[in-house]
Amino acid sequence: MTGQAFFVLTALAGGPRHGYGIVGEVAELSQGRVQLKIGSLYGVLDRLAVEGLIEADREEAHEGRLRRYYRLTRDGRHALAEEAEVHAAAARAVRARLRLTGPAAAGTAG
Amino acid sequence: MSGGLGLEQRYRRVLRLLPGYYRDRWEEDMVAAFLDSWLTGDPDDDECILEFCKPTWPEVASVAALAARLYLGGAATPRRYFAWGQALRRAVLTVVLMHAVLGLDVLVRTAWSHRLFGLPAPPASLVFAFAPPGGVWPSLYDLVNVAWVVIFVTLALGNYRTARVLAVLAIVPGLAALLQAQVTGIMPAPFGRWAWWVLFDLGLVVAMAAFHSDAPPPARLPWLLALPAGYLLVYGPVLALLATGNSAWLPDWPGVCCLLVALACLVHIPRAWSRQAGGSGVWSLTLVLLAAVFGAFRIVTLAGYLHDPHLLKVSLAELVILVTAAALVAPDAARAQAAAPAPPYPGVMAA
Repeated sequence: MTGQAFFVLTALAGGPRHGYGIVGEVAELSQGRVQLKIGSLYGVLDRLAVEGLIEADREEAHEGRLRRYYRLTRDGRHALAEEAEVHAAAARAVRARLRLTGPAAAGTAG
Repeated sequence: MSGGLGLEQRYRRVLRLLPGYYRDRWEEDMVAAFLDSWLTGDPDDDECILEFCKPTWPEVASVAALAARLYLGGAATPRRYFAWGQALRRAVLTVVLMHAVLGLDVLVRTAWSHRLFGLPAPPASLVFAFAPPGGVWPSLYDLVNVAWVVIFVTLALGNYRTARVLAVLAIVPGLAALLQAQVTGIMPAPFGRWAWWVLFDLGLVVAMAAFHSDAPPPARLPWLLALPAGYLLVYGPVLALLATGNSAWLPDWPGVCCLLVALACLVHIPRAWSRQAGGSGVWSLTLVLLAAVFGAFRIVTLAGYLHDPHLLKVSLAELVILVTAAALVAPDAARAQAAAPAPPYPGVMAA
């Protein structure tokens, strides 16, 4: 799963959102590191829809235009949980290594 | 002046880069999201924005990148785009393989010339040295040929991004050597060498965009085996003719490429003409693409033989053989592009 897809799924885990809502949520979740362009966003949404990880939720009129909202599917929620576990396991491994090789460990070794 | 188009129309014009089936599905949604990203909610500001603002270059680039990925599609795109994507990816791999075979030849002949690994001394006609006339850039160009072996293996193993970065770096010495030769006037056939660089270096790097994140990985083992097999197929006869003093029988490199593509077309004919062969159309399309590129290279390099009627005839015969062989697989290539409906999008409402 790409980083962009991970953040899009995470944004939708909080509830259905429309296209630009996802862009804003992803920017917030990533603390500004991932700034999705509209072309990139719909490339990701397209792929996630094909894989059955997201689906359309509803359409709402806003200032004369229709906003389409998307939500996670059951498979999408499952895929996101699996990916989050992979990230968490990696983070645990990094922290363990840092504890072993950090200043405190160096002090005890010396 | 707004130029008569509003922001929405300008963005819709950018979206025309995308394939029709994709626009049918996503255009309204993309336009709504795009306008949401601009509008402030203040009526005066929004009126100005809608009239005068234009899509930014990064936004246009993101749509262009999406268009490239869709036209050179992965497995989830309609059959026509998938066929083009696969054909271009295979053609790119084949051209990188050609570079890698040339690189392998530099390695083999250098090793042989220095009698490494206990090799016997080569005939004088096969001795190779990293010291072509013209200084550092041509020498570096020879050295870079070896790097194509690494680029080919990297690409065949599916490390697309690394292969692309290495390929961009690898084509720079070639350009520098060309510019140097052009400026100093030592280039014997400028048209042919420029055509080589544009078609098989610059064009190749651009076409490597077909290896995007949705692209299925290449079949590793067959492609990796193609390197030694390609070397033996091309350089076995070449080295034998050079070693026995029969180099007059050797066609020039554009001729060798034309004949090899023609041979590949002929070998592929039984599969292309078989009704049972599922998916063979993609290989036929690949061969037609390769025939077009190497045919163009042959035509451009004809300029160097205008003074020699015999060589001109031989070159034209190579071109005719190539075109005839490609024509035999062309109907199957056309079949590969037969339009098929786009795959269903589960749960996404039709626009």
